[in-house]
Amino acid sequence: MKMTLTMKKRIKKGMKGWLSALPFIMPGLILVAVFIIYPMLFTIKISFSDYRIVTGEITNVGLLNFKNVLFETKDFWYAYRNNFLYALVTVPLIIFGGLIFSYLVNNLKKGQSIFKVGFYLPVITSWVIVSLVFKYMFGNSNTGLMNYLLVDVFHILDEYVPWLYREWTGNGAIWLMGVWKNMGWAMLIFLAALQSIPIELYESASIDGAGLWDKFRFITIAAVKPTIYFVMVNMIIGSFNVFIQVMLLTSGNPNGTTSVLQYLLYNRAFNKFEFGEASAIGLISAVTIVLLTIILNKAFLLDRNGNGE
Amino acid sequence: MMVNNQYTKFKTKNRITQIFIWTFLIIALIVFSIPFLIMIASSFEEFSYVLPYPPKLFPTSLDFAAYRYVLEQHNFMTALKNSVINTSITVVVAVFISSLSAYGFSRIEFPGRELLFGVYLFTLMMPGFLNIIPQFVVLRNITFIPGLSRGLVGSRLGLILIYTATSICGHTFFLRNFFKNVPLALSESVVVDGGGHFSIFFRIILPLSKPAIGTMSIFALQGFWEEYFTAKVLVGANEAMITLPLLLQRLNGEHATRWEWVFAASLLALIPIIILFIVFQKKLVIGGLTQGAVKE
Repeated sequence: MKMTLTMKKRIKKGMKGWLSALPFIMPGLILVAVFIIYPMLFTIKISFSDYRIVTGEITNVGLLNFKNVLFETKDFWYAYRNNFLYALVTVPLIIFGGLIFSYLVNNLKKGQSIFKVGFYLPVITSWVIVSLVFKYMFGNSNTGLMNYLLVDVFHILDEYVPWLYREWTGNGAIWLMGVWKNMGWAMLIFLAALQSIPIELYESASIDGAGLWDKFRFITIAAVKPTIYFVMVNMIIGSFNVFIQVMLLTSGNPNGTTSVLQYLLYNRAFNKFEFGEASAIGLISAVTIVLLTIILNKAFLLDRNGNGE
Repeated sequence: MMVNNQYTKFKTKNRITQIFIWTFLIIALIVFSIPFLIMIASSFEEFSYVLPYPPKLFPTSLDFAAYRYVLEQHNFMTALKNSVINTSITVVVAVFISSLSAYGFSRIEFPGRELLFGVYLFTLMMPGFLNIIPQFVVLRNITFIPGLSRGLVGSRLGLILIYTATSICGHTFFLRNFFKNVPLALSESVVVDGGGHFSIFFRIILPLSKPAIGTMSIFALQGFWEEYFTAKVLVGANEAMITLPLLLQRLNGEHATRWEWVFAASLLALIPIIILFIVFQKKLVIGGLTQGAVKE
């Protein structure tokens, strides 16, 4: 008897909670349900189907799409590899550069905002615009800046390189652009973290005779470690969202060796109208990102416990 | 919450060190600015069929012909108008709906709250592209609005709906952290006066969270302004609904060697965003971006 009473009470309280919460969460919830959650479930469904978008016909084909994506051509593996390579190359450079610049800017007496705005400029410039500039800079004759500098000015190379038409130079251009575009973001985040470090730490280190480098290593790095992790996770996940730069710089050429998952997905869906295969690619990247996030979280927590923080 | 720049900052006393840092940073900034220098210098060139050699980092003349050409193209004005309308409506609607959600998730207890919020967080991990095909299908099936035979595909309303929906989870997550930190005692005074959740929301939470909401709005604005992929898929085929990023890419595709047009148009699209960030840079609460994500 008493049990049911408390149950009733709890249900009543829950209903009351929902009633007062609904006006607040309802508008968002409807949009998220219709345009985010339902589409996700739909994607899972069509990744196992043959989907004709014009007629709306859906036929179950089991794992055929996955089989086609994974084993029919090498496209998927090039793209998958390139996403990982992008993370592996750009993330350390972004973090390292961001740390150095934020540390130096933070130590300036005057003119901090010039550098803050200056280094942040690439971040607020759209991917479309920076991709177009890089496309021009990496032009394949001497009218492109890279060829002009490396061949005509410094004579480092003997002949003009068709940067965006070769596998590794094409990927290199995509990486360079990623580092250039994101470093300012990392810098700004690190700067905020640095400015919350108590000044006394540095003062006592100075008294002990520590130099700029020692202070950087032992105080700064230690204090911004959680922020480094935050930037790292964000950038690694971001590496799986690379798209516009590949589409505008190389279109995945030659033979898909500079492609990435999102570009492959786009190409399958909107050029070849293989929506099932495109969804399969999307699903594989989603699972990869979730796994990566879990692994990174675990690694970070272990690290934190190891340091006794 | 707000980081105090003035007093917690460590300052190197040594003058030589200052000069060294300045020199290093200036050189780094110049190298960093090369893509922008190229863009600006080239927008004053005339490319026609031969690209200028050598590539220029600084303008040799101030020839505004490219800017005039771009501004006279009627689709530039269309794109500008669309980008302004889409971006401003989306920012206002998305931020308002997300603020409401964030209030619900931070200040009201209801069963399943954490689970539902977990679902929101989970969707944040998913690549945005994953949903574009079904989103397209859903929009096409919304045919009950008269006058839209293809549903909401190719319409402004459709694009704004998708933009708003895709930003809600992230914005809710961001704002929830701020709303949680507003002291409960403040809202009690409203309750004493007989006010409910809506009074608390409008009279306490919103005014106190202005810096956070402002920061988020600026980042959101920049994101919607430059959004390319969704716009391409949803309204790319409708000439009247074209946005600036679509126009830029099209300029490059149609006139492969006329870089001065592409760069002039790019700079015109970029300038409002740069001004916005320069004006508000002191007020942005960057520290808040990492809040919660680091704590957990």
